[in-house]
Amino acid sequence: MPNEQEFIQLLNKHQNIIHKVCSIYMDTTADREDLFQEVTLQAWKAYPSFRGDAKFSTWLYRVALNTAITFFRKEKKQVPTFSTEIFPDTTDYHNPIEEQVKAMYKAIGDLSKIDKALVMLYLEDYNYNIIGEMLGISPNNVAVKLNRIKVKLKENTQKHYQFS
Amino acid sequence: MELDELKSQLLQKLDEVPTTKSELDIGGMLKKNTQSVICKLKKSLWIEIICCIIFIASFAFVGLFSKHWSLRVYFSTFTIVCLIFLLVLYYLLTRIRQLSNTSLPIKNNLQLIHSIIKEYVKRSFQFTMALIPICMIYSFWLGYKDPSDEIHFTEGFLSRHLSSPQKVYLFLGVYMVLLTIGVYYFTKWYLKKLYGNYLQQLQTCINELEE
Repeated sequence: MPNEQEFIQLLNKHQNIIHKVCSIYMDTTADREDLFQEVTLQAWKAYPSFRGDAKFSTWLYRVALNTAITFFRKEKKQVPTFSTEIFPDTTDYHNPIEEQVKAMYKAIGDLSKIDKALVMLYLEDYNYNIIGEMLGISPNNVAVKLNRIKVKLKENTQKHYQFS
Repeated sequence: MELDELKSQLLQKLDEVPTTKSELDIGGMLKKNTQSVICKLKKSLWIEIICCIIFIASFAFVGLFSKHWSLRVYFSTFTIVCLIFLLVLYYLLTRIRQLSNTSLPIKNNLQLIHSIIKEYVKRSFQFTMALIPICMIYSFWLGYKDPSDEIHFTEGFLSRHLSSPQKVYLFLGVYMVLLTIGVYYFTKWYLKKLYGNYLQQLQTCINELEE
């Protein structure tokens, strides 16, 4: 029987991982809350399988991404993933870096679920071997995919930046 | 504007968590039910297992205690059919349980969920479709062979509305064809509505990882 208190403490310490995954994958606060709940439950169910040979954060990333990718809602009108809480509307001043980050974030929101997972792990500075292990693909494949994603993001960020 | 140039800013923004959950919130979440498709599938499997057990008990009762030989044979056969289906359902449930207690790499996880749901959809469809001709032919054959002459309902109905044997066969043929077509399209639509889109989206993710 897994230790509930120990799990809650660990999850509390690493909850920012789940928040990040929810922000990348969900558009609205309600959906993000639902996904947070779902990841927490899935992590709790899978916790007995956590043997401690990997870091808890890496393990939690895997569970969170697995849950986010397989978490399907009923088809709604597709809105690109863009969290207004992360980027509040700042019309008073113009900060080019902020605008670029905002455009890049929008471009990430347009990516597929798998590409989002790759970007997420890349942003967290995981090496290609660990990303490959988490996704179940080879490190070479990770490199190829990331290069493609970077090109795609560059183009789409440009579009979003011009539009804004 | 490269991803690498904005990496630190992006991560910093993502790290700004809007609402932090307390240990109490997290503890409360562990008591709730999950909304995942796998969990829904688990629930439908449980419902089907319960229905199957009820059917087995009822069929076995009729199979043992009916006055008519044909009904005894018919319901005893379907007690065995339901028992086999119960084993298939239990096997699927075990696979799903194993899946929800592990954390596999994303690709393996997707492939496993996809194969389980695909198998479930395939078996449900095969089972439903196979039952139509089996039930029909088997019941007609048993009704014809039954030595007792107490089952008059069908005979009475047919002889009142259909005068010749050819008309009776035509009526039964049309009835079987229409029923088969109806059940075929309904089952396809129902399973597609429940799992079709989900299977398609899983397949898209798997294809993307295999590219």
